[in-house]
Amino acid sequence: MKSLRNSLAFILMTVPMAVLFFYFHTWPAMHGIVLSFTNWNGFGPYHFVGLQNYIDLLHDKQIRHAYVFTFEFAIVTTILVNIVSLMIALALNAKIKLSKTFRAIFFLPYVLSTLIVSFIFNFLFSNLIPSIAQNLHLTVLAQNILGTQWAWVGIVIVSVWQGASFNTLLYLAGLQTIPEDVYEASNIDGASTWMTFWRITFPLIMPFFTINMVLAAKSYLQVFDQVVGMTNGGPGTATQSNTFVIYTNGLGGGELAYQSANAVVFLIILVCVAMIQVRMTRGREVQF
Amino acid sequence: MKRYLVFTPAAVATTILLATRCGSSANTSSNNDSSQSTGGSTGQKVTLEFLQNKPEVVNEWNSLIKDFEQQYPNIQVKQINPPNTDTTLQADLAKGQVPDIIAMGADATFIQMAKNGVFKDLSGAPELQKVSPAYVKMLETEVGKSTPYAIPYTVNAVPIIYNIDLFKKYHLSIPTTWNQLMQEATKIKQEGGTPFYNGFKDAWTIAPIWNALSTNTEGSDFLKNLESGKTTFSKSDVTAADQLRQFVTLGQPNQFGVDYNDANAAFANGKSVFYAQGIWTIPVIRSDNPKIKLGTFVVPVTNDPSQTKMVSGVDSLLAVANSGNQAKEAAAMKFIDFLLQQKVAGQYATVAGLFSTVNGVKNADPALTPLQPYITSGRVVDFDDHYYPAAMAAGNQYESVLQGALSKNQSTSQILQQLDSLYQSAAAHQ
Repeated sequence: MKSLRNSLAFILMTVPMAVLFFYFHTWPAMHGIVLSFTNWNGFGPYHFVGLQNYIDLLHDKQIRHAYVFTFEFAIVTTILVNIVSLMIALALNAKIKLSKTFRAIFFLPYVLSTLIVSFIFNFLFSNLIPSIAQNLHLTVLAQNILGTQWAWVGIVIVSVWQGASFNTLLYLAGLQTIPEDVYEASNIDGASTWMTFWRITFPLIMPFFTINMVLAAKSYLQVFDQVVGMTNGGPGTATQSNTFVIYTNGLGGGELAYQSANAVVFLIILVCVAMIQVRMTRGREVQF
Repeated sequence: MKRYLVFTPAAVATTILLATRCGSSANTSSNNDSSQSTGGSTGQKVTLEFLQNKPEVVNEWNSLIKDFEQQYPNIQVKQINPPNTDTTLQADLAKGQVPDIIAMGADATFIQMAKNGVFKDLSGAPELQKVSPAYVKMLETEVGKSTPYAIPYTVNAVPIIYNIDLFKKYHLSIPTTWNQLMQEATKIKQEGGTPFYNGFKDAWTIAPIWNALSTNTEGSDFLKNLESGKTTFSKSDVTAADQLRQFVTLGQPNQFGVDYNDANAAFANGKSVFYAQGIWTIPVIRSDNPKIKLGTFVVPVTNDPSQTKMVSGVDSLLAVANSGNQAKEAAAMKFIDFLLQQKVAGQYATVAGLFSTVNGVKNADPALTPLQPYITSGRVVDFDDHYYPAAMAAGNQYESVLQGALSKNQSTSQILQQLDSLYQSAAAHQ
């Protein structure tokens, strides 16, 4: 009797969520998969064209470029974010004065909207930095970096600045799980700080490293807000990420079905990347 | 012209506001529908959604709407001004919720929508008699049918705008040939000034000058021949691309790192002598610097002044959505009648810095006077990009190609090859 009441409560709590999730997430996704086999441009009549969209994708230079950019950007940013956030976490975990205040300050960027952050940095890159550089006679920096071939560096800087805060939080949580006695033991054995980090700290926070890598890679493969806010894909098509192409060409360029096919391919790639990553890092985790 | 992707924090705020507003207004309008079908009386209050694509005239539209609502208390008009009209409209179409009245440029999105029967057929509407027949025809040509789906309201033009004080300082005279323009610009550069200020970080800002150059040099049959495969960009636009590259060498050094807003502000504050933009930018420049004295002249693209035509397209057209709701469509026509009154049309055209299509209305702005004869005598040519395939023209596609190629200083043939391959892939997904 009691178990029945329990399961009723569970059903009442989960079913509405599952229905909403299905209707607003799963159903549109399935709809998109069906559409990817048509030639629909967003409205009006359409018919099925089989795999034509997928075949065209293989020859589309713009889309190939978008994939290359997305992966290059995601790899660079994921690595940088993890290095930076681990360093910040180690520093914040040390017994320093005001460490709680610093934790709050370093978490602040995560609270801000990515789009707002992008607009602010857009302003800094176009007005502030060039004018400072001009006054210092640094001709290299007097150009707006977002209008040059180095525009991607600007996007990486913003992504790392904002993204590091969340990963720092996870690393901090990980560092707190390490019992004090392991450090004492390594101290007695005379291990250096460097040795302690590589042999004690890092293996023990390995699960957090895994989750941070997966989360960062996933979100940076889907980079969108930063591109819209800072370069709009420019100069030319240099910083068009794949999600950006799906959005602009699919909704603005009358290629809804074609870009749906692109989205399906991208989904498959994302799932594969996540699986490979989890498998690669899981083997290296240690328990204590 | 069209689609100003002016991404400022304010634009984001409007987007967020819009997202919430759209939801609520959709609710109220559906309530109205049901109450009308049951009540059936025309005394019911009608709410019209009015989408317009120009962020710089939001306030002017609000005041026109206020006047209209005072005259017609039963009709309520809600202005929507999304930062990216193309994308918003396409999303609305996919959802089947099109705004009741749309004021937009005659661009690829409009053509696509008109072809697909989104707009009401206005054949025989008395409103068409009130406006210039040449531009009614232009809209029909663009759609490719002899059916009027929209009323042209204001038309723009692409001249070269100049700062009169600086123009006098360098002792220049109005250039009538391309060579003369280039000589004057080179002279300004040699004397340490900046001839042209460009906001090429926003890719679309290349479109006005590109259209002026291409339409005047590629031959009048270019678009027809392009469609039938008789010509390509590589064959017909060599002169235009050469001239564009020459033009870019006379811009300020960081021209690909400055956006439209910052370029307007820089020109307004005397950073350059010339500014190659459409006349829609003049009100913006004046709001950046109310004291500036501006002049304009037609872009002298060729070396034979009698051959030069001015690029002028329909900047805002008025179209009514085919909603099937009689009360709404009638109310929408009332709003259009109101807008086509000479006084209202003249007021709007002056504030927006455009030419009105309404018969007998002239723009009194002295800065625009040199262009009026071209409009009146019909020495105008429509924007090329209004005829490019949607996937090439919408979303700044071809402008991005030009932006990328010019910022990397690529050769004329490299630029044109990229346009050709973009055209081919866009035409394939039509």
